[in-house]
Amino acid sequence: MTPSLLTGLLPEIWLGLLFTLLLVLDLAWKEERSTALGMVAAAGLLPVFPVLAWQAGMGSHELLGGMYRLDLLALFFKGIFTAAAILVLLMTRELDKTIPRGHGEFYLLILAATFGMFLAASSAHFVMLFVALELISITFYVLTTYLQNNVNSLEAGMKYLVLGSLASGILLYGIAFIYGATGSMQLSRIQALYSAGAPLPVPLLFGLFLVIAGLLFKAAAVPFHFWVPDVYQGAPTPVTAFLSVGSKSAGFLVMFRVIQELFIGQAAQWAPLLAWLAALTILYGNLGAIPQRNIKRLMGYSSIGHAGYLLIGIAVASRLGSTAVNFYLASYLFTNLAVFLVIAAFSKVTGSDEIKAYAGLSKRSPFLAAAMFIALLSLAGVPPMAGFFGKFLLLMGAVSEGYIALALVGAAAVVVSLYYYLQIVYTMYADKPEDLSPIRVSLPVRLALWVCLAAMLGLGIWQGPLLHLSLAAISGS
Amino acid sequence: MNPVTSIILAPVIGALILLVIPQRQEGWIKRVSAIATLIPVALALWMVFRFPVGEAGYHWVHRIAWLPALGIQYQVGVDGISLTLLLLHTLCGFTGVLVSYRIKERVKEYYLFYLLLIGGVAGVFASLDLFFFYLFYEMAVIPMFPLIGIWGSGEKAYATMKLTLYLTAGAVLALIGLLAIYAVSGTHSFDLIFLEHFLRQNPIPGDLQRWLFPFLLIGFGVIAPMWPFHSWSPLGHAAAPSAVSMLHAGVLMKLGSYAILRVAVQLLPEGAYTWLPWVAGLSIMNMVYGGFVAMAQKDMKFIIGYSSSSHMGYVLLGIACLNPVGLNGAVLLMFAHGIMTATAFAAVGHIYDQTHTRIASEWGGLARQVPFIATVFIMAALASAGLPGFGNFVAELLVFFASWNTHRWAALASILGIVITAFYMLRAVSTGFFGPLNPRWVKLQDATLFEKVPYLILLAALMLVGCWPKLLLDMISTSTPAVLSHLDPLKAVARL
Repeated sequence: MTPSLLTGLLPEIWLGLLFTLLLVLDLAWKEERSTALGMVAAAGLLPVFPVLAWQAGMGSHELLGGMYRLDLLALFFKGIFTAAAILVLLMTRELDKTIPRGHGEFYLLILAATFGMFLAASSAHFVMLFVALELISITFYVLTTYLQNNVNSLEAGMKYLVLGSLASGILLYGIAFIYGATGSMQLSRIQALYSAGAPLPVPLLFGLFLVIAGLLFKAAAVPFHFWVPDVYQGAPTPVTAFLSVGSKSAGFLVMFRVIQELFIGQAAQWAPLLAWLAALTILYGNLGAIPQRNIKRLMGYSSIGHAGYLLIGIAVASRLGSTAVNFYLASYLFTNLAVFLVIAAFSKVTGSDEIKAYAGLSKRSPFLAAAMFIALLSLAGVPPMAGFFGKFLLLMGAVSEGYIALALVGAAAVVVSLYYYLQIVYTMYADKPEDLSPIRVSLPVRLALWVCLAAMLGLGIWQGPLLHLSLAAISGS
Repeated sequence: MNPVTSIILAPVIGALILLVIPQRQEGWIKRVSAIATLIPVALALWMVFRFPVGEAGYHWVHRIAWLPALGIQYQVGVDGISLTLLLLHTLCGFTGVLVSYRIKERVKEYYLFYLLLIGGVAGVFASLDLFFFYLFYEMAVIPMFPLIGIWGSGEKAYATMKLTLYLTAGAVLALIGLLAIYAVSGTHSFDLIFLEHFLRQNPIPGDLQRWLFPFLLIGFGVIAPMWPFHSWSPLGHAAAPSAVSMLHAGVLMKLGSYAILRVAVQLLPEGAYTWLPWVAGLSIMNMVYGGFVAMAQKDMKFIIGYSSSSHMGYVLLGIACLNPVGLNGAVLLMFAHGIMTATAFAAVGHIYDQTHTRIASEWGGLARQVPFIATVFIMAALASAGLPGFGNFVAELLVFFASWNTHRWAALASILGIVITAFYMLRAVSTGFFGPLNPRWVKLQDATLFEKVPYLILLAALMLVGCWPKLLLDMISTSTPAVLSHLDPLKAVARL
């Protein structure tokens, strides 16, 4: 079936309507009820899933005169973004008290970022791509500074704004070079220009590397990672969570689009660089996480480490590698959000993000401690959690393409990461708590955590369905 | 239902049932755990008695297509080697539950992790697919962390972290090796049975094998524990609660030598020729150096811990011989040593729970106060020192015979190792259990009738195998030639 404008853009149109509805409700409802808006937004996102499933049957198409495209890869990532947005909206329930004002806008901004991610998934033109990425970035600049009374939050937002603008500039500069070298901004036309193996001209290669640099910033990879620890620590927890799964996924998605789809035949020219960056990112993130005392900062370094693993999948430039990236991102979504859900629920009651404060959590809230334990194991890549299978696929991709040294770096980092994740586990389970009061978890967060737990274990044990989806997303695009 | 799958699933299902039992129902928690580990014992014994002696190959194979796109299938089954080790594992697992009845703190979580550990280890011995082999292997490592970290004693924080990181480092190194075999063989299959047949016809080029072998050897050697990667193990044994030490020294360490045998030697025979002489050399360090270190210890658990890593040297030597007699000895020794060391750790744990010290010289004269436990420990010590009548004697004798022709120096060293073992074990017995009774311990309780059950089971198994080794040896020797069939007979003879 060939999609019309309406059916092809249905998810985006639905998001726009939801956005408008929230805007109206925010004006109509009193400030006290505005927290219910988050739940409305989360519920409103649910119908996106069946729409995406329906669109999956339509095949690959270009719409809007080649600006926009509909294919399985776009749909796969839209699914990831929707799931992330819903879970993050549920998480915002724990934030109510800490946000001084503007609850309604907070949810609107999350929806706006989601909208940007949807556009990025479907963009088939560099201008569209840039607009989509800017939409994501600018909403995140605002979201990061949302705790207006908190210096850390303001500082984080400022840093993110300055460095983010620089990255956007680099990206735009790169796009300009690519346009100059090829005479086109449309991805499918550029793809048609170079057959496999034909070397890229220097201006194009230069432009490509600048674009990669801009995307590495989004993905939080070395050497464009400096903003990560501060922003992760300073931003409100749901924002950090959304940044770590949504924004990162968008970065990798665009890497697929720009590097892999366009220039897979020239992998020899860009893959070695990415392989080196992957190794450095893995080492930097995992070694940097060791001395951290603040759990959000630690998750920032951990997020850099995971970006490194994901880069392996891009660098090996094979179907297996790309499938692995898809699988990894989907499992990372549930795993990382589970950690941040626990962090949000914990800091709401205790007001602390220090790892020390987690002492004896298993006595204060066995559920939170167990969820954190399972999520951290999944992050480290321990079976039977979903994170294990993602890492397994990535290492398999690396070894199959002969990147043994890279695989060894990845394998060694598993041990390092286990060290700092297990320190947290030890604190939660074996240390004595100072305060024995139980920690109450609100229903939305409980619900979101159960979803994450089910996904981590379900995808880890029964890997087939997600593996086939990941594979189809690569093959169908 | 396939018996091998049931052995893996019973503890896992037990763990799931524990999740829904309320924390305060300790009686039920213990009963469920006991049943979940007793069923595997019954199944393993059933398979041992029904084992078709003389028929090589894998039996009771259970195969489910899992991820055909990647050549991954759930496939389990046993041959004589893995069945022997499964029997050992199920016996240690069940007696471990009985010994753990003394644990009072956070009972539900304890049994939950314990049962997951049991399921994981069983999975490694039973897996005939490299993906699941690795998956179960990692699953077996992780529950150790909380088990030692929460319920352990002494330097538990350091010990449990060191143990987990060492074992994981070994595991991921081995994983790279496994993935490389998958990639180089060009079969795109993790099916171990298929790979064995395929690689017999189309072996991986010799240079590549020599290059890949160390990944598997060192990776699995860490848990074996092969010198110089052994330092996590005595620490871990000493810090762990009794049942975990039992399982750890009794079964987990055998995973390493089993994996070297099943995967490395069987799939990379050329690599084995090149590297196994080095293993024989390292095994001397295990046997003699480990023995001397054990001699210097004062803590009973450290004595047994170093003794374990010393005796695993015999197992490695048996494998390094690359002949059927050596392999039979190695496998039988894994069984006998596992039972012996589990018994010894249980006995030490019984006393430690009451005395809160394990320093042998602080005990003194305990044989008068706790005659049953003392008898058990003395029997274990004698078994360890190679007294005829216990399984260890038969197994170590086989290793001597096999290594005399292939690695004479190592054979001589292994005899020295036995003398050293006799020295420190008898000294531990005499300082801890004989002499005047230390008045601090006059209130020490001997094992009750119920508490005697695990010791009786273990000692019965040890003596049965010692007096009638044919019971297991028939089964083991059915399968050892198959392991060596990859090896070029001419090369094997040339080495004799």
